[in-house]
Amino acid sequence: MIKETTRKKGRADANPSKAKPLIGVFGITGCAGCQLSIIFNEDDILDLIDLVDLRAFPFIKEVNPEEHFDICIIEGLVADKGDLERIKKLRGNSKMVVSLGACACTGCVPAYRQFTLKENYEHLLYQKMEEIQDVKPTPIDAHIKVDYYIPGCPPDKKQILAFIKGAVAGRIPKPYDSPVCIECRQNGNACLLDVGKPCLGPITAGGCDAVCINGGFECWGCRGPTKDMHLDLMIDILRAKGFDDRFIQDRMRTFVGLKLPMLEKVMKKTSEVNVTFKGMPAQRGLP
Amino acid sequence: MLRNITLNHITKIEGHAKLDLAIDNGKVTTCHLSATEGARYFEGLVKNRKFYEAHEMTSRICGICSCGHVVAAVQAIEDALGFQPSAQTFRLRELLTLGERIRSHATHLYFLALPDYLGYESALAMAPTYKAELMKALGLMKIGNAIVKLLGARDLHPVSATPGGWLHLPSTGELRAVAKELEKAKKDAIATCSLFASLTHPDFDSPSEWFSLKHESEYAMLRGDFHSPRVVFECHKLHDFVREYHEDYSTANFVVVKGGRQYMLGALPRLNNNASQLSKDAKAMVKKVRLRLPSSNPYHQNLAQAIELIHAIDHAHDICSALEVTDEKPPKLSPKAGHGIAAVEVPRGTLWHEYTLDADGMITYANIITPTAQNLLSMQEDIKRVLPSILGKKKEDIVMDVEKLIRAYDPCFSCSAHFLEVNWDEH
Repeated sequence: MIKETTRKKGRADANPSKAKPLIGVFGITGCAGCQLSIIFNEDDILDLIDLVDLRAFPFIKEVNPEEHFDICIIEGLVADKGDLERIKKLRGNSKMVVSLGACACTGCVPAYRQFTLKENYEHLLYQKMEEIQDVKPTPIDAHIKVDYYIPGCPPDKKQILAFIKGAVAGRIPKPYDSPVCIECRQNGNACLLDVGKPCLGPITAGGCDAVCINGGFECWGCRGPTKDMHLDLMIDILRAKGFDDRFIQDRMRTFVGLKLPMLEKVMKKTSEVNVTFKGMPAQRGLP
Repeated sequence: MLRNITLNHITKIEGHAKLDLAIDNGKVTTCHLSATEGARYFEGLVKNRKFYEAHEMTSRICGICSCGHVVAAVQAIEDALGFQPSAQTFRLRELLTLGERIRSHATHLYFLALPDYLGYESALAMAPTYKAELMKALGLMKIGNAIVKLLGARDLHPVSATPGGWLHLPSTGELRAVAKELEKAKKDAIATCSLFASLTHPDFDSPSEWFSLKHESEYAMLRGDFHSPRVVFECHKLHDFVREYHEDYSTANFVVVKGGRQYMLGALPRLNNNASQLSKDAKAMVKKVRLRLPSSNPYHQNLAQAIELIHAIDHAHDICSALEVTDEKPPKLSPKAGHGIAAVEVPRGTLWHEYTLDADGMITYANIITPTAQNLLSMQEDIKRVLPSILGKKKEDIVMDVEKLIRAYDPCFSCSAHFLEVNWDEH
């Protein structure tokens, strides 16, 4: 029989031990999806709290002391003054700061605002309290040092777990830097570029098991560009498929625009050279 | 004596919110519930984008309701293009939405609400004593997640639903396998109901009018009219009956219906309006736990969610055990100028998406009204109303009662941080 009580009792760490690393999970402006991804590890979440001291996680915990964290995991992007103050404070209190998910790593869709016309959203602006005054929408590393990135919108929930377990054991997983196409081919998917869809898989870091393409949907690049991407070739392929420059630019900037500062220049350069890929029929890319 | 209470970071909710209270000689002089999320301007971001890009972008408004946002966006775009989806497409959209409802209710009930009732700071702190209960929660979350992943290809922000239909279809065999899992999960949903029925829900009577979709042939989810016991509104006439306004202390809008009335959305209003259309076992459970409907006590939202868990499992089971999947490819939709509105019942209530397209299929206007924005006034006024009766308590107990009330609404402040055109008066 379950007893109700009004007194708070119990901490997350039922068996506190000094050896357990102190972990904090925080969200700034975002959709809470990355934090949900942590608890959606249904088979493992209860074991995780035996492994670490989950000291702060305001999304699911009432008591959240902001102590010195060994690992501080932050979801969301910096969109207002409160976010900025918060991450600076957390950085000061943490040995290691981890950007969790696309907002924290690249600014994700909200940072696409930096590339849209002000007239698109200025009618939505209004005066706000001091603490929620807007700042330019930016990923966390635009303001503080970030030690590790878990990319994706949302990140693979198992990778979050693998990172925490690895960090506890002193073996932090290496970032995945091969394009999405590798896993996509392994999964036996037909190439979406071949059927005229604007897939950004070739320039996007994988590690996601190409989930979107498995589901029939083209890659929008949420995990960020690979280090040695061929942006010029990607642009040419998309042009050859019949996509106009504005569409290509908007699509590439939706999730990771701030990580593609060279985009405009490359687009200009490639349009001058005017490379065309033979054998690729130009098609309108409607789904 | 003047007392000020500020809850700067309300925990165990989606997103960020704060509450400012001032009490002067036993009278509540200030009660401001506000979203303190940074502004994201989604409605501005989708402007000048193609009609088939809206759902992929707007699903990022919210993690826990991302399926709802996708379905609402896709249906609003189809409405603008004058397209009618096939019966199979519609059934699978229902299934996607049900998967989300199961995992969202399970997460809210066990991880966000239950610790309040049992006196723990978190579900994780309950683990040593209440492991069996938590395993039920995780099992329900798992089946919900499995449905979303099967249909949407991902756990959050599903990608396979598109204007016109589905880019990827589950096989009939995969649906049957899910049906088997749902049968197993059913007993956990029933146990969840019994558990929440055994808790003491504070007595409270909210003056809010309860609204939900209502449809003649089903427990409404993706279609129907917008109903309360007093009025029926046709969803297409959204602007005739809903008005949004802004307060400077929040990044969320307040929403009222015609005549300035506050209203409540979510599982309880759905039960109040549509209980006769629940599944057989869910109906039996309403009787068994003696939930008297209609109820105007927002604390009953939790129990209503538990009952909806049974219904959602039954409904999902009906789809998974009966649907023979045919290989339908989404048709190529031709762009044309138009205006579309869609309303969808997501876990927290009725979600509205509205788009205007030009002749090239570019989005020229977008408007999104989330359940939490609509519940905000009701939540705030309920807090104001409940306070006088609990003012004699210690500050920490007042805070606890107020938080319990806020969490009963299952607010999602990530979602509600939404913006509209406001004429700002300097004064």
